[in-house]
Amino acid sequence: MTTRAAAQLTIEIVGGGANQIPITLVPFGMEDKQPQRLSEIIAADLNRSGRFKLQEPGSVRPFPTEPAEVNYRYWKNRGSQTLVIGRLAERNDGRLDVRFRLLDSAKESQLLGFSYTIAPAQLRAIAHKIADIIYEKLTGEPGVFSTRIAYVARNPDRFELQVSDADGLNSQFILAHREPIISPAWSPDGTRIAYVSFEQRKSIVFLHNLIDGGRRILANYEGMNSAPAWAPDGERLALALSKDGLTQIYQMRADGSNLVRLTFSSAIDTEPNFSPDGRSILFMSDRGGNPQIYRMSANGASVERMTFDGTYNVTPRYSPDGKSFAYVQRAQGRYTLSVMDFATRQALALTDNQFDSSPTFSPNGRMLLYASIVKGRGILAAVSSDGRIKQKITSAALDVREPAWGPLVGNR
Amino acid sequence: MNQLSWARLLAALCVALLIAGCGSKGGTEQKGGATVESRDIGEQQRATDEQRAADAKRAEEERRRQEAEARRLAEEKRKADEAALRAAEQPVVKPLPSATVGEKALSDAATQLKDASGPLSKRSVYYDFDMYNIREEFQPIVEAHAKFLLEHKDVKVRVEGNCDERGSREYNLALGQRRADSIKRAMTLLGVPAKQIETVSFGAEKPKAPGHDEEAWAENRRSDIVYIGIDSPQ
Repeated sequence: MTTRAAAQLTIEIVGGGANQIPITLVPFGMEDKQPQRLSEIIAADLNRSGRFKLQEPGSVRPFPTEPAEVNYRYWKNRGSQTLVIGRLAERNDGRLDVRFRLLDSAKESQLLGFSYTIAPAQLRAIAHKIADIIYEKLTGEPGVFSTRIAYVARNPDRFELQVSDADGLNSQFILAHREPIISPAWSPDGTRIAYVSFEQRKSIVFLHNLIDGGRRILANYEGMNSAPAWAPDGERLALALSKDGLTQIYQMRADGSNLVRLTFSSAIDTEPNFSPDGRSILFMSDRGGNPQIYRMSANGASVERMTFDGTYNVTPRYSPDGKSFAYVQRAQGRYTLSVMDFATRQALALTDNQFDSSPTFSPNGRMLLYASIVKGRGILAAVSSDGRIKQKITSAALDVREPAWGPLVGNR
Repeated sequence: MNQLSWARLLAALCVALLIAGCGSKGGTEQKGGATVESRDIGEQQRATDEQRAADAKRAEEERRRQEAEARRLAEEKRKADEAALRAAEQPVVKPLPSATVGEKALSDAATQLKDASGPLSKRSVYYDFDMYNIREEFQPIVEAHAKFLLEHKDVKVRVEGNCDERGSREYNLALGQRRADSIKRAMTLLGVPAKQIETVSFGAEKPKAPGHDEEAWAENRRSDIVYIGIDSPQ
């Protein structure tokens, strides 16, 4: 338990977005009987997204839990446009009935309402699910509160590959070793993570099954084996190997078979990243004399340079809609995040820190999680893809780094 | 000493006092036979003294033996602990096949390599930021090790490439490999067979200097020439 508690992440919102949607989370009926209040988990999720303005419910008592109990005039007077009400009920079989409704106080009508039957242990999961539904209804984009993230925590004696909920809680390590672990990459279905471990005192790519905990070596060729990236079909991976001389990009099937070399340069080619449609790969190469970002088709043809500004542009990551990509740029000795639009080729600077690295998009494209160094210590941070919302994420570990945001999964 | 032991000791003392009491009573009753008694006692006393001296000598010998044994055990444990510590630092330990490195060659090689004033004492090559070429000042080091490897065909090295922490971890890993490979290439150009040199990159993952400033970064942009079986067990 101590290991788990020490590994929890704490998320602090640094900046808020414009045009926040006002919303009131009315405490749910009977929620005090549970270890955590359902309405508070939902409120924290919505608040963390930076897209909502949370409003207090005020003096009304008792709190309404059904539409018939709602005094719309009271809420209109308070300026509460949207309300969330709900209640819990314990069933005879030990499970819980959870129901909630999203109400529009101006129209005095229900926007949506759902009920669920859950095991008590699923309380946080159902809260994230409800937050996702509210988020999607009010913003038009899918919510990512039910997703998970992977990251590497460095403790005094070992490195841990951690998997936690998107809010940083409920973290558990899936691998711990005294040698470093880098570059975790989620399979598109969220059941497997490929990563690089130095446990045999050289870089080797492993594939780890999250369901049964089993793992196996994907690539252990002579020289370095690194930078695993999944194709969106979940059946292929691209990776970087130095077995034929300089580090080049290869592709293999997810069982390690059918290795095919994709790049043939006399330079370093690494950090492949598949486009969401699987037809293109962004990668980093220093073939032009310094590290820049290039794009090629998934079979290695039609290579095109994407970045020209500055002498160090690395770690390209496609946005989930495929219309832009995030990357790390060095300028005036600072390593910061930018996002470039494919259509206009215009870059937007997202951060202004000293040492930002490893950007990873949320599956709805709204946020980017990344690693940074503050006062000599590795932290995670997040920024919205328009640069307006910023979060700082801290942990009790010496360092946290190498974040990877997991996919949208489940019965959406 | 615990409570139970104290209780036993007290009980033993009580028994001893009772026996002593009986003895003195017996002595008073047999006053007449004192001479015989005293001679016998004297003989017994001499025998007992001799016995005691022998016992004491044996006890002393035993004590010395035990102390020597304890010292030996402590030394063994210290060596075992040291070995365990070394093993913990190098988790994968493969015994050195005698066919690969002959004992004579190894001791000869080890002597030369451990000569702190010799040309082989320097094992690290340092780099400029984002560069992998061997700077002119480090050419003599690479040449000295190449010469040594040519003269010792049974000796193998592992060149370990490292980078400073800044920038992309993946690019740094590739750059570290390129740094190590460039030393291997320089050595093979000098005639060293490729099979005597293996390379590995730790990228920015195993920094020697822990800081976050130019001094630490300069130390960490480095390739180390590690002699397998001499500097490192594997």
